[in-house]
Amino acid sequence: MTDSGRTRVLVPLSEYKGRLLVLLALVIGWSATLIVGPALVAYAIDQGIRKHHGGPIFIATAGYVASALVGASLFRLVIRKVTDTGERVLQGIRISIFQHILSMPLGFFDSERTGRLVSRMTTDMDALENLVQQGLVQLVSNAFLLTITLIVLAVMSPILFGLCLLTIPVLLTASIWFKRRSAVAYLSVRDAIGRTMTSLQEGLSGVRVVQAFASEDYVVRGFKGHNRAQVLANMRAVSISARYFPVIEASSVATTAGIVGLGGYLAHRHMIPLGTVVAFVLYMGNLFSPIQQTSQQFDLLQSAGAAFTKLKNLLSIEPPLVEVAKPTDLPRHGAVVFSDVSFGYSLDSPVLTDINLEIRPGEHVALVGPTGAGKSSIAKLIARFYDPLSGEVSFGGIDLRQASFESLRKTIVVVSQEAFVFDGTISSNIRMGNNDIPDDQVKRALEAVGGTQVILGITGGIHAVVSEGGATLSAGEKQIISLARVALVEPSVIILDEATSNLDPMTESIVEGAVSRLAQGRTLVTIAHRLSTAQRADRVIVVDHGQVVQVGSHDELVKIPGHYQDLNSAWLRGRDSA
Amino acid sequence: MERGGWALIFWQIRARKWIMILAIVSGICWMSAAVSVPLLVQGAIDRGILGHHQGALVKWTMAILAVGLAQGAFVGLRRYLAFLVSYKVEADLRNRLFGHLQRLHFAFHDRTQTGQLMSRAASDLTQIQNFVVLIPLTLANILILVSVVSVLFIENWFLAILALMVLPLIPILARRFSGRVFPASLSLQRELGHLAEIVEETLSGIRVIKGFGTENLQDAKLRGSSQKVYQSALEAGRIRAFFTPLLTFLPIIGLVLVVYAGGHEVLNGTILLGQLTAFLLYVNLLVAPLQLPAWVIGQGQRAVASAQRVMELLRTDSMIVDPPNPQRLPRESAGEIEFSGVTFFYDRELARNGGGGHQESSKPVLDNFNLRVEAGSSIALVGPTGCGKSTVARLISRFYDVASGTITIDGLDITQVALKDLRSSVGIVFEDTFLFSDTVRANIAFADPRAPLDLVISAASQAGIDEFIRSLDDGYDTVIGERGFSLSGGQRQRLALARAILSNPRILILDDATSAVDPSKEQEILRAMSQVMEGRTTIIIAHRPSTIALAEQVAFMDKGRVLAQGTHQQLLEDVAQYRDLLISRVETK
Repeated sequence: MTDSGRTRVLVPLSEYKGRLLVLLALVIGWSATLIVGPALVAYAIDQGIRKHHGGPIFIATAGYVASALVGASLFRLVIRKVTDTGERVLQGIRISIFQHILSMPLGFFDSERTGRLVSRMTTDMDALENLVQQGLVQLVSNAFLLTITLIVLAVMSPILFGLCLLTIPVLLTASIWFKRRSAVAYLSVRDAIGRTMTSLQEGLSGVRVVQAFASEDYVVRGFKGHNRAQVLANMRAVSISARYFPVIEASSVATTAGIVGLGGYLAHRHMIPLGTVVAFVLYMGNLFSPIQQTSQQFDLLQSAGAAFTKLKNLLSIEPPLVEVAKPTDLPRHGAVVFSDVSFGYSLDSPVLTDINLEIRPGEHVALVGPTGAGKSSIAKLIARFYDPLSGEVSFGGIDLRQASFESLRKTIVVVSQEAFVFDGTISSNIRMGNNDIPDDQVKRALEAVGGTQVILGITGGIHAVVSEGGATLSAGEKQIISLARVALVEPSVIILDEATSNLDPMTESIVEGAVSRLAQGRTLVTIAHRLSTAQRADRVIVVDHGQVVQVGSHDELVKIPGHYQDLNSAWLRGRDSA
Repeated sequence: MERGGWALIFWQIRARKWIMILAIVSGICWMSAAVSVPLLVQGAIDRGILGHHQGALVKWTMAILAVGLAQGAFVGLRRYLAFLVSYKVEADLRNRLFGHLQRLHFAFHDRTQTGQLMSRAASDLTQIQNFVVLIPLTLANILILVSVVSVLFIENWFLAILALMVLPLIPILARRFSGRVFPASLSLQRELGHLAEIVEETLSGIRVIKGFGTENLQDAKLRGSSQKVYQSALEAGRIRAFFTPLLTFLPIIGLVLVVYAGGHEVLNGTILLGQLTAFLLYVNLLVAPLQLPAWVIGQGQRAVASAQRVMELLRTDSMIVDPPNPQRLPRESAGEIEFSGVTFFYDRELARNGGGGHQESSKPVLDNFNLRVEAGSSIALVGPTGCGKSTVARLISRFYDVASGTITIDGLDITQVALKDLRSSVGIVFEDTFLFSDTVRANIAFADPRAPLDLVISAASQAGIDEFIRSLDDGYDTVIGERGFSLSGGQRQRLALARAILSNPRILILDDATSAVDPSKEQEILRAMSQVMEGRTTIIIAHRPSTIALAEQVAFMDKGRVLAQGTHQQLLEDVAQYRDLLISRVETK
C-alpha cells in the first residue's frame, strides 16, 4: 500500500493469534461449567428423588460444587485474559494512531480541526476502553453461554427446545428493531450532549462578553433550550429500551409458563422425565439473561463500533510525505532553489504556479504580499512540509524529496512567532523534551539569542515550571524560548513566520534583537507583515496570486511602481498618522 | 459537610416528586410480579404435574403467563420513569448551575478554570443522575429481598436457613469489590487523562513539533504513557477477576445445599418437588438484589461528593450585585466618565489562589488613579504592558469593584446604578475577541437578540465587515465558530466591533481592538472606528500610533497612574518616555 510496503490495520490479528486461541479454549471451558448445574439437578431429581435413591443426590451436589469451583477459577482466568488481550490491542491502536497522526503533513492539521483529532485519541479510544473494561468479558461469555445452553436444551428434550425456539422470532424482531432504533437515538443523544456542552463551554469562556453586554438572560435561555433538547433526546433513547426490555422479560416468563405447561403435560404422560422440566425452568436464566445483558451493553458496543470505524478511517488516510528508501543527507550549506515549482493543496486549485527562485546561502529574504498570496506556501515548501505538484525544491543541489528526514529537520527549521509552550520546565521546552541535551547546551542556546537575562529573571530560571500555553510567561519570554529552540538546533536555514498581531514595543525589540543574532551567518526567510522587517532584508520577494511578482531590495523596489510601492505607502500611512 | 450534598439531591428530587413516586410504584409492581413467579411454578409442579391434575396445570400456566406480561409492562414503566426523573433532576441542576455561573463576578471567573466548571456541570451532574436513576430499582430490590426471605422462611425455615446462609457474604464482598475497583478505575481515568494531555499538547503544538522535526520524542512520551494506561487497566482487570467469580460462586453454595438437603426432604416426603424448585428459583432471584446495594452505596457516595462540589459553587455569591435601590442613568445622559482617587488590586482575590502569574502581586494595579473623560470626547490610554490600561476599561463596566475612590458616569457613582443599566450603556470590544458558535447575525445582535436585520447590517457596515459577510455562502445566517466557518483574527475583531456598535452604547471602549487587523486593511477599519466614535464617549487602548491618533486626547500611563495627558503631538514633543515607547515600534533598527 505505501512505499514502505507497510499496510496499516488497526488490529493486526495475526499478532494476537496465540492469545485468542487460549482465550477461546478458556471461554468454552468456562461456559461448559455453567450448564452443568441444572443438568445435575435434573439428574438428582430423576435418578435420586423420583427413584428414591440418596446416592444420585449426593453425586449431583458434589458434581455441582466441583463444576462451580472449576468454573469460578476458569472465569477468573477468562477475565484476566480478556482484559490483558483487550488492553494490548488498545495500546497497539493508540500507538499506531498517534504515529499516524504525527506522520501527517501540516496541511492535514489545518483542515482537520485539532479538537476532532484529539477526540479520536480520547473520546473514541475511551469508548473502546469502556468496552474492554466493562463489557467485553460479558459479551464474549454471553455469546458462548447462549450457544452452549441452546445445544444442551436441544439434546435434553427436542420438544421443549422447540417450544423455546418459538420465542426466537419475537426476540429477533424485537432485537433488530431495538438495534436499529437505538442506534439512531444514540446518535442524536451524542449530538444533543455535544450541543449542550458547546453551549456550556461557550457560556463559561465567554462569560465576560455576556456580562459586558448584560445578555445573561438571553444566554441562559439558549442554554435551557439545549438542556431540554438533551433530556428529550435521552428520553427518546430510553423509551426505546423501555419498550424492548419488557418484551425480553415477558418472553422469558412466558417461555417458563410454556415449559411448565407443556413439560408438565409430557411428564404426566411419562414422555419426558420431570427433572428435565425443572432443569429447563432453571435454564431459562441462562437463555434470557445473556440476551438482556447484551442489549443493556448495546450502548457500549454501539459507541465502540462507531469509534472503531472512525479510527479505521483515520488510519486509512495515506500520509503523502514519506522518506525515500535510500535518503541523502543534506549538505551543511547551500542555496535554496525553486525550479518551475507549482503547488496546490488540491489539484484543481493551484496556490503557486511556476515559481523560480534562488535564495543564496546566508541571505536574508522577506516574503511579502497580501493574505492568501502564497507566502506561507513558499515557506512550507522550503521546509518540505509539502511536496510540489510539479517542479523541484532543492537545497545545496539536492532535491528535498531525496533528503533524509533527519538532516532536513536539522538543516531547515521553521519558527512561528505565535510561540507555543509545552507543559514542563523552560529548559525542557527549549530542548523540546529531548533529555539527552545537557543544561550547558541549553544555556548556550539562550546566550546565543541574548535571552539569558530574560530567563534568569524568572524565579527558578531555566528550571522554572511552565504550563501549556505559557500563562505564567510574558510574550517576550515565550519568544525567547521559541528562538532558543532554534539556536539549539543550529540550522542553516531559518524560516520565520512573523506574528500578524502586534507585540508590545518592548517585547518586539527583544525579539528582533534575538532574531538578528540568530540569523547571523544563516539563511533567513521571513514571512513579513511589517515594513521594518522588509527594510532589513537583503532582498524582498513580493508574492501575489501564487506568483513571484517582484524581487529586489527594499530601496530598489520602492522606486518602481508596482505591488511593493503600494504596500509600502499603505504601511507609511499607518506610520505617518503617528 | 456531606449534609449539603444530600440536601441538594433531596431538594432537587422533591421538585420532581410525582415522577419519582410513580417510578417507585412501578418498581414495586414489577417486584411483586417477579417474586410471585417461583410460587406459581411451584403450584404448577406440585398441584398440576405431581397432583396429576390437568386443569390445575393449565390454570397455573396461564397465571404464570399473565404475571409475566405484567412483569414486562412494569419493568418498562419503571425504567422509563426512573430515567425520566433522573434526567429531569440533572437538567434542573444544570440550568440552575449555569444561570448562577453566568451571574458570578469576573474575579471568580479569573481564578476558576473553565475546565473545572465544565466538569462540575458535566461529570459531577452525571454522577448525580447515575445515582438518582438507581433509586426506584434499589427500593424495589430491597422489597424483593424482604419478601423473598419471608416467603422462604414461611415455606420451610430449615431450607431457608441453608439457602440464605452464605448469602450475607455477597453484600460484604460486593462492598469490598466496589471499594477496591473504584480507586483502580479512578487511577485508570487519571492515566487516560495524562495520555489525553500529551495528545492535546502535541496537536496544539504540532507546528513547533513539525518545525523542529521532533515527532519521535512525542511518540516516545505517548508510548510511556500508554504503557501506564495498560498497567492500570490490567490492575482494574485483576480486581474484577478476583471478585466477580467469587460473587457468582457464592449463590451456588446456597443452591447446592438446597439441592442436597431439599432432595432428601423430598425423599422423606417433608416437602414437594415443586417447593424445592421454587427454592432454587428464589436463590437465583436474590443474587442481583444482594449485589446491588454495594454499587448503590458507592454511587451514592460519589453522587454526594459531586453534589457537594456543585453546592459549593451554588453557594458562592456574586460579589458584584445591584445596589439595594438602584438609580437610573439619565436617559439623555452624555457619558461623562470620571475616576477620582481610584486604587485597585486584582490580587485581593487572586492571591489566595496564586493566580496572576509571577508578577508582583501585592502592588496595586491602579494607584490613586484620576481621569476625566468629557462627554462625547475620546481618549487613548497608552502605556507599557501591565500599566493598568485594560483595568481602567474593566472598571467602568463594574466588572470589579475598586478598593478605594469612586468612578462616576455623568456624576452618578456606578455602584449606585443597576448593572444591566450600566452595562447596556457601555460597549466594549475586548482584546481577545470572543464569538459564539452561532450565526453571524446572532453574534452581532448579541446585546439585543430581537434587533431587526437592517440594524444588524448597519452595525456590520459601520464596522466595515458587511461586504465580507455578504460574500459568505449563507450571508448573515452563516454559522461561525467551532462547528462553522472560521474567521481570521481581523475579521473576528471587526465582528466584535459590530457587536459593540449594535448595542448602541453611549460609552465605547476599544481594548486593543485592531491588533490583529491586517495592515492593508487597517485604514479601512480606522475610518470605520472614527465614524463609530462620533457622538460617543470613547476610550481607546492601543499600541499603534495610527490607532492612537484617532483619539482627541492621550493619557500616558505607567504603574497605575496617569503620567501625562495631552494630544498625541504634545506628548510626542514633551514626554521623552512616550516618545521612546512609540518610536521603538515605528523604527526598529
